[in-house]
Amino acid sequence: MVKVSGRNTNEPMLDMFIFETSQLIEQLEQSILSSEKSSCYTPTAINEIFRIMHTIKGSSAMMIFNNISTLAHHIEDLFYFLREEKPNNIDCSTLSDLVLEGVDFIKIEMEKIKNGDEADGEVSQLIERIKGYLSILKRTNISTGPVKDPEKVDTKGQRYYISQDKAKTSIYANAFKAVIYFEEGCEMENIRAYTIIHNLKDITEQIFYMPEDIIDNDDSVEIIRREGFKVYIKTDYSYEEMHKFFMQAIFLKDLELIQLENVDELKQFSTVKEAVVQKNPIKVPSLHEPDKRKKEASDKEINSTSMHQSIISVSVPKLDKLMDLVGEMVIAEAMVIQNPDLKGLELDNFQKAARQLNKITSDIQDMVMSIRMVPLSTTFHKMHRIVRDMCKKLDKEVQLEIIGEETEVDKNIIEHISDPLMHLVRNAIDHGIESTEDREMRGKSPSGRITLEAKNAGSDVLIILKDDGKGLSREKILMKAREQGLLYRSEDDMSDKEVLNLILIPGFSTKDGISEFSGRGVGMDVVTRNIEAVGGSVSVDSILNNGTTITLKIPLTLAIIDGMNIRVGNSCYTLPTISIKESFRPKEGDIITDPDGNEMIMVRGQCYSILRLHEVYKIKNSSTSIFNGIIIMVEHDDKTLCIFADELLGQQQVVVKALPKYIQNFKKIKGLAGCTLLGDGSISLILDITGLINN
Amino acid sequence: MKKVLIIDDAAFMRMSIKMMLEKNGFEVVGEAEDGIEGVKKYKKLKPDIVTMDITMPTMTGLEALINIKEFDPQAKIVMVSAMGQENMVREAIMQGANTFIVKPFKEEHIVEILNKILAI
Repeated sequence: MVKVSGRNTNEPMLDMFIFETSQLIEQLEQSILSSEKSSCYTPTAINEIFRIMHTIKGSSAMMIFNNISTLAHHIEDLFYFLREEKPNNIDCSTLSDLVLEGVDFIKIEMEKIKNGDEADGEVSQLIERIKGYLSILKRTNISTGPVKDPEKVDTKGQRYYISQDKAKTSIYANAFKAVIYFEEGCEMENIRAYTIIHNLKDITEQIFYMPEDIIDNDDSVEIIRREGFKVYIKTDYSYEEMHKFFMQAIFLKDLELIQLENVDELKQFSTVKEAVVQKNPIKVPSLHEPDKRKKEASDKEINSTSMHQSIISVSVPKLDKLMDLVGEMVIAEAMVIQNPDLKGLELDNFQKAARQLNKITSDIQDMVMSIRMVPLSTTFHKMHRIVRDMCKKLDKEVQLEIIGEETEVDKNIIEHISDPLMHLVRNAIDHGIESTEDREMRGKSPSGRITLEAKNAGSDVLIILKDDGKGLSREKILMKAREQGLLYRSEDDMSDKEVLNLILIPGFSTKDGISEFSGRGVGMDVVTRNIEAVGGSVSVDSILNNGTTITLKIPLTLAIIDGMNIRVGNSCYTLPTISIKESFRPKEGDIITDPDGNEMIMVRGQCYSILRLHEVYKIKNSSTSIFNGIIIMVEHDDKTLCIFADELLGQQQVVVKALPKYIQNFKKIKGLAGCTLLGDGSISLILDITGLINN
Repeated sequence: MKKVLIIDDAAFMRMSIKMMLEKNGFEVVGEAEDGIEGVKKYKKLKPDIVTMDITMPTMTGLEALINIKEFDPQAKIVMVSAMGQENMVREAIMQGANTFIVKPFKEEHIVEILNKILAI
């Protein structure tokens, strides 16, 4: 049995089921949405949906997820009708709603299955509605006649293989009666019976059978189950041969084979079919569970000669583990190559070998990264559904355009950006895009436009969400911020960009009313928090009445960064190399101190503030004279800061580890992104440039 | 070991059948995800027996069956069907499929069927 005995024994199958079904569901959703958009279901689309439902039905039945299987079965039925009858009065939007509801149900159940819960969703109500919809369709399409299988061939004339030629009748020496019982649960007993009849044709053409309407009448299945399938034949075959023949039947549970003494008796069958020949039974062998010994041939070693498999699915935890290990290896490599014991030694061959090792580790690292990369397309295409649902509810018209969906990001990051993205799209439709009338009044096209774009920018990926709605008003934001006491600077000092970024602060909401979708004031800051959690940043740009652009900048990957190690006193810190612009020793005349005591440095006519790390982290034994140390200029989001440290230690790839929970819980330390292990085994704190700059 | 070719568009079904069969001493020599590929692989791999899904894109199981039977009238083919496909199954039998199995099925059933068909 596939499942039942417990899912643990069938992990790979369950994984495959989840993987494939999720994919199919996505494909299905796309198909429905694009059909709805073009407001018609093309035969291709109908066929595709039918096929997907058919596959899901089969797979989930194998895994005994009966509610999914039943639902899929009914949707399959519905699309079968659509495919065969091509009714022309389909209400596209009702149909889409119904199927999407089914899609949602399966999604929820899949979530449960993924989490190891019982897939126990109640589906009967939805099924009733699907049935109802189908019966309405059938009723309104009565003119086209009742549903008919196209494959259904007229079976009359195939039922009896009795030769008209009477003379031939006498040729056959023997007559048999066979009563065949099939194993319970083998399904489609009538077709099984048909198979036997079909095969009998090679032996004789004198065949009679009961029930005789095995194809057309579905009740025949019941009769066969209850009373067995009775066959009368005349043939030259011997009893043994006939017995062997019947024994070959698949799912045979029980066979009674009787040789009839009186050959002529058979003639009556065409007229008197029922009260037949219980007399003269010669031999009645009966068997149960045929060929039991064949089952013994099992339990051989599983031969995994999967010579044709080019793609395998790997569970994400395994990849995470691999990533961790590669991280450890990078550290271990540094520990060997930069081992303090080697200091001052002349080691040409060692260095050569070390370089080779270094090349291989970085190759492995790239490879592991690339394995973990997934295109954004799935995440992006989910937005179609949101746009659709929102537009329906809010009665707006919005076109969603997707660009660069093939851009790849680390799998873990994708999981973090899906929700924020959804939120942003909702915001854009709810708050951004105006109603059709408003848009026409302003001379815009009646249907709004949202563009979702992804592109690579160095070690980051930019995700840009652009709408052509009403944009953000500086005054409104300031007013709101004032009301909620979120302003900490004079309003006139703030640039437009700074004002716009106020909407990212917790507790900020410009929407007066709360709709079902957005505007609860917990919006943008959650987006910011999610994006920052993966080391990304959010920025807002907007032109009043022209639209809003929100840009998410997210790193390609989380785990390993190029870092510059710096020393402050006895402590070591790591800066992401990507943020470093330059480093230099300051000259005396460049340092300026403002009336508040803040230090600045003049570089090429530009003034930058200086941050002394030893002051921020209260480090002793470090050089306090700015001329003995080094200034490192870092940049993030067009903001620049000069960090003062004792010296640069060197560049190294570092594996980012989160700060231990007890430190995080104890105190939120500003400006730290995490920590890492150095080659000599000591710990370095990774500085969070954004945090430092915004401090 | 008897060589099996699995033709099914659902990766899950291919995997299920493969696992069931390999556990019972069959060698799955190939998998195909639609009829066209299936026919090609049949010609190349010459398996002892084929399990054939009925509903597949580009070329259905029925068409693939006919194609394979044309190439090799002795080909042993077991159709894998689902409830509600009675007519197509019957058609497949008429076209020379040896037998069929209805999803969901149990391991012992598919093994029994294959063994029986192979014994003919």
